[in-house]
Amino acid sequence: MRNFEDDPTLSDLLTPDQIRRLDGALSGLCREPVAISENRTEDAVPVEFNLETVGWLSGGASAGERKAAAELVSFLMLFVAKYRLAANIHHDTTEASYAELQRQNEALKASEAKYRELSDQLQQKVDEQVAVIRQTQQELYESARLRSVGHLAAGVAHEINNPVGFISSNLRVARDYVKNLEPLLPETTENRELLEDFNDLLSESIEGTDRIADIVADLKTFSSIDQADNALCDLNSLLRSAIHLIQTEYNHSLSIAESLAELPRIPGHPSRLSQTLFNLLDNAAQAVGDNGRILVRTLTDNTGIQVIIQDNGCGIPDKVRSQVFDAFFTTRPVGSGTGLGLTVARDSVRAHGGQLTLDSQEGAGTRVVLSLPVQQGS
Amino acid sequence: MPDFSPEDNKLALKVVFYGPALSGKTTNLMQLHSLLNPERKGELMVLETRDDRTLFFDMLPIGLRSGSGLDLRLKLYTVPGQVQHDSTRKAVLSRADGVVFVADSQVAQQDNNAIAFGNLEDNLDKVGLDIDTLPMVVQFNKRDLPSVVEEAELQSRWAGTPWAPLAMASALQGKGVIETFRALLDRLYTVINAEFDLAGKHDIDRATFIGRLSASHGVGDA
Ligand SMILES: Nc1nc2c(ncn2[C@@H]2O[C@H](COP(=O)(O)OP(=O)(O)O)[C@@H](O)[C@H]2O)c(=O)[nH]1
Ligand SMILES: [Mg+2]
Repeated sequence: MRNFEDDPTLSDLLTPDQIRRLDGALSGLCREPVAISENRTEDAVPVEFNLETVGWLSGGASAGERKAAAELVSFLMLFVAKYRLAANIHHDTTEASYAELQRQNEALKASEAKYRELSDQLQQKVDEQVAVIRQTQQELYESARLRSVGHLAAGVAHEINNPVGFISSNLRVARDYVKNLEPLLPETTENRELLEDFNDLLSESIEGTDRIADIVADLKTFSSIDQADNALCDLNSLLRSAIHLIQTEYNHSLSIAESLAELPRIPGHPSRLSQTLFNLLDNAAQAVGDNGRILVRTLTDNTGIQVIIQDNGCGIPDKVRSQVFDAFFTTRPVGSGTGLGLTVARDSVRAHGGQLTLDSQEGAGTRVVLSLPVQQGS
Repeated sequence: MPDFSPEDNKLALKVVFYGPALSGKTTNLMQLHSLLNPERKGELMVLETRDDRTLFFDMLPIGLRSGSGLDLRLKLYTVPGQVQHDSTRKAVLSRADGVVFVADSQVAQQDNNAIAFGNLEDNLDKVGLDIDTLPMVVQFNKRDLPSVVEEAELQSRWAGTPWAPLAMASALQGKGVIETFRALLDRLYTVINAEFDLAGKHDIDRATFIGRLSASHGVGDA
């Protein structure tokens, strides 16, 4: 492309029509016709414009006539060229400005896209933070509930422990006394039956107090009142306590089979693990209803422990399964639970560096596998 | 950048008068048109608005023909100083071989000078020219006015720059205009001679270049 400042040629300045018209007008002024051309002919004089020869003027009656005509054309050329220059630079700058505008527009679009992306990222971050806050709130609520239940259990256990202790030992002493009384009483049928009855009464009562003592022990294990927040946990004993408690809650109506392997102790939060196991058992218990079976197994290899709780209950519908870990979600009728069981269980397991997996078939049952590492990362 | 066409043996150079609006660029060019009597001088083309402000540019072509037949052209341009004509300034500035920066000496105009100088730096950068190597003269015009910054102060302020010493002028009175132009020709010659060997190939030495392009009507001034 030519620059606006390039020296113009004759055809840049005038169209052939205009040249013809100019020739005509000039010829009218001269005694002989004259003609302007880009090519030099004999006797032609240069038509100069801005130190540049833009054309040649030939014809005319004399050299003087040619010179005057050429001078007139040069003079006209100044104004034509002025216009041409102005038009050219206007065109150039308009194009440059437009290009610049387009470039700015592109840059603007790019930065707009960048900001949109940034705002999306920000929204995502906010969502993540909201989830974290919601989760923390949930955990706080859960742990507060757990703590208060734990405190209550601990208090009750403590209060019951002493009286149960002395009732139990008194009953045993009483049984001994009954034995001592036996030879001293006259040997009658009535007396013998009385003593046998008395003995049975005492034995049943001793059995009863033993059961009370067991429940108290389970409660203590469950609420972990004797243990620090972070301790070496015996998962089997936590599991047994949880099974006892769930049986108590379901009036010993559940059929729970245990198959517990010997496990290494793992570091962890006993009360959280207890709560987790209880929740999983509770889910299973609700799923099986009155006449299902629950199988509880523990396994270990070098790297970790697995607790498997399997039931042959109602199972979880496909469309619900992906949601079962969502807080507040429950497949059970409103009122029968908060739906937090699985979420809390999963979160506790994660806090222990482990994993909770769920394998369920509607109508066939559910298998929950809780894996915990033996050696925890942190 | 110099435009050399070997077939015509023609070398075209471009000098641009730059500066804030109303500093006297057009006046400089008009004075050169009337004061100079170079070997060849074309028409002064003034493209102004109705109120005398430069709309696109002004242009004055001058030239000389060397003994070797070199057709040397120098086109002198002014730019419109008003802020809104920046794209025109850029277009005129592109491919410039030398710049005369015309500053207004009045105390009140110093900010405008600075802004225009900054704009010159920006635009040179945009059209791919280097302000540090481009032949340039800085002129402080309107010395005839009462409220001007002292010359001594100006000279000391610019002493550390490549553009010292400054040229002082009163374009309206025709004073300092030719001197400014000669200072520019001097700096321009150094660069052009390095590229085209004007002295060796075309028999144009520094004195010839300056003298023949800036010959004036004044007595004994050629
Ligand atoms: N007093 C004074 N006025 C000047 C001088 N040079 C230019 N002017 C005036 O300043 C105004 C602007 O000048 P002009 O050359 O059009 O400025 P441009 O916008 O830089 O082209 C005009 O009124 C000039 O007469 C000078 O040296 N002294
Ligand atoms: Mg002007």
